[in-house]
Amino acid sequence: MPRKKILDLSVDWLSILDYEGNADKILEPALDNETLEKFYRTMVITRLFDDKALKLQRQGRMLTFGSCLGQEASQIGSAFAMKSDDWFFPAFREHGVQIARGIPMKLLYIYWMGSEDANLMLPHRNFTVAIPVSTQVLHAVGAALAAKIQKQNIASVVYFGDGATSEGDFHEGMNFAGVFKTPTVFVCQNNQYAISLPREKQTASKTLAQKALAYGFEGIQVDGNDVLAVYSATEAALLKAKSGGGPTLIECFTYRLGAHTTSDDPTRYRKKEEEEEWRKKDPIKRFRTYLEKKGIWNQSYEDKLLKEASEEIEKAVEEAEAYSPVVENMFKYVYAEITPDLKEQMDELLGFIAKRKR
Amino acid sequence: MVEIKFPDVGEGITEGTLVKWLVKLGDEMKADQAIAEIETDKAIVEIPAPKAGKVLKLFGKEGDILKVGSTLASLALTGEEISVPAASTPEKKIGAIKGIALAGPEISMPEKAPEGSSKILAAPATRRLARELGVDISRVTGSGQGGRIINEDIKKSMEAKPEIKPEACENLPEILLSEERIQIKGVRKTIGERMVRSLFTAPHVVSMDEADITELVSLREKEKITAKEKGVKLTYLAFIIKAATVALKQHPYLNASIDSQKNEIVLKHYYNIGIAVDTPEGLMVPVIKNADKKSIMELAKEAEDLAEEARTRKIKLSDLKGNTFTITNIGSIGGIFSTPIINPPDVAILGVHRIRDLPVVINGEIKPRKILPLVLSFDHRVLDGAQAARFMNTLIDHLRDPDLLLLDVT
Repeated sequence: MPRKKILDLSVDWLSILDYEGNADKILEPALDNETLEKFYRTMVITRLFDDKALKLQRQGRMLTFGSCLGQEASQIGSAFAMKSDDWFFPAFREHGVQIARGIPMKLLYIYWMGSEDANLMLPHRNFTVAIPVSTQVLHAVGAALAAKIQKQNIASVVYFGDGATSEGDFHEGMNFAGVFKTPTVFVCQNNQYAISLPREKQTASKTLAQKALAYGFEGIQVDGNDVLAVYSATEAALLKAKSGGGPTLIECFTYRLGAHTTSDDPTRYRKKEEEEEWRKKDPIKRFRTYLEKKGIWNQSYEDKLLKEASEEIEKAVEEAEAYSPVVENMFKYVYAEITPDLKEQMDELLGFIAKRKR
Repeated sequence: MVEIKFPDVGEGITEGTLVKWLVKLGDEMKADQAIAEIETDKAIVEIPAPKAGKVLKLFGKEGDILKVGSTLASLALTGEEISVPAASTPEKKIGAIKGIALAGPEISMPEKAPEGSSKILAAPATRRLARELGVDISRVTGSGQGGRIINEDIKKSMEAKPEIKPEACENLPEILLSEERIQIKGVRKTIGERMVRSLFTAPHVVSMDEADITELVSLREKEKITAKEKGVKLTYLAFIIKAATVALKQHPYLNASIDSQKNEIVLKHYYNIGIAVDTPEGLMVPVIKNADKKSIMELAKEAEDLAEEARTRKIKLSDLKGNTFTITNIGSIGGIFSTPIINPPDVAILGVHRIRDLPVVINGEIKPRKILPLVLSFDHRVLDGAQAARFMNTLIDHLRDPDLLLLDVT
């Protein structure tokens, strides 16, 4: 018997928009001006939301926060490919997806100010923030399997970073999704660093997308700073998922321009020049050039947008700071209905507080 | 008015160093505009103002260590009418009357714990640190898990002030209790740490002697004018450095260090002489590299330049490193003897004191001579008294007879 090749797998790279504002004519998604404007608006709001959060933290008005600066295209592009009935499972840096999904910014600020009340994550099918790395992968696969069993025509989209691909939960979730062909879209925002660990030390694999191939489904690497490419890839993956084609892993190749969190100092592990290189690839500027060519963007539009967005954010901060948390809510907002053991914990805590007050 | 506090900008940090003010008194600030840069254990961060307003007061100066929660600045909110002081005047906490001698308040030291009363919980490394720093570990209160003593506790106990009994102070008029507290930081802190390490690591022996430098004095008086024309202030220190390098070459064990990891004495064939300089911040020791290869004029010039750079804090870090032997010249200020502490990694330090006119018996006759007191502290792990005395003899010979110095020029 001769020795022969039995497997020949490959990973695609997708990029649609160049830096001069030209989109590939064949790959360009058919989106109307209104939708494109909404993408841009949400990216800008996300950036301002993020910047304000950093300032609040430095003023002692908010707790530890992880900035998503530079990852707006990966987040907004994928978020708007989702339908409101699809399930969304974030890690902890998905402020852009959360805003795009309609979670009020007030609620997001309340969350990062330390109140679990924000875990309501209104309005619909938005899962709560997962701080432990990659645990949400399992939840997303479970939700997708449930939808499949219930014959709901929905999918789940789960977000995580490059570091999560080394975690057990990621591999268990991926394997399960492959075997059961769950309608799950895995969005890996490869921002090149797992805290301080560079991507090449994370795995010897050439891409993160290829991890999917081992579990029997498609993996694609997408230009994560190209909002159109991310949108197209996610939309295609969701369509496939909902028509019984199973899961997809999308690796958004992007860069975290800020620190890992407010407790981190990236100058200790990466070079200024590298940051500068990526700053030139700013996803918002790149998309803006495209919109300007299309006649959607101009300076007066920008000025108006910045003014409106800033006002909206200031109002959200004001409301968040005026909010007083309700202790019971951290128990009530875990499940649709409070479970007996959580009820017991809640009563114990309320009793303790009542005793302290006396 | 709003006070801006220094918040916990990391997760559980307790303090930070004020790196830079980004605004000054009277500045109009926008909301979220950065007010200062603060360096914490984690990163250098900018602290933004929460609201728009005018800067009324900035607390602390650049380089200060700030506790989390302390006030950084106060702002008059836009629309508020508050007058702004023209310039910053540091607040004085010192009482009006200074210099009154008073009996020290009664000081009580904590009793030494009775032997075997309770077991001391501390890791071997912590016990070793306590030994090295000369701390009685039985008196230290542990802050670690289950009362365990940690390195931090040992260090803190070194800094801790003896407890002052309040009743002893009660009857004293308030003014007599006037005191001032200066935070130990920067140069002061470095000196402290280095000196503690040196004194508690190297067994110091001090050897004292005198040099009759009458001839050197007249030589210097003569050459001073020529030197001045060349823009050089010809100091005694330059001659002493020269003489010291000559003596070090003849007695190599004084120009050495200890490699404690390999348990070896390192004899150095280069002669980098540290010069202790009194600066407003505290003692600094710039280093003249390859002093043996330089002329007395060059040494005088370099010593003066380095000292000036140290005093104005313009000195490069590289000029404060690499010493193989150190000279401390206290004579220009006062004192006839001292016991200097060795400047690590050296194994010896030479103290030079005030030159005085003293009567000296020469060939049965009393003559007025110029006498320079010299002190040598050395590390007994490397050197013995005899070697040190031989070094001093060579040094004194060369200072007494400056012609020898000229012969030794390399």
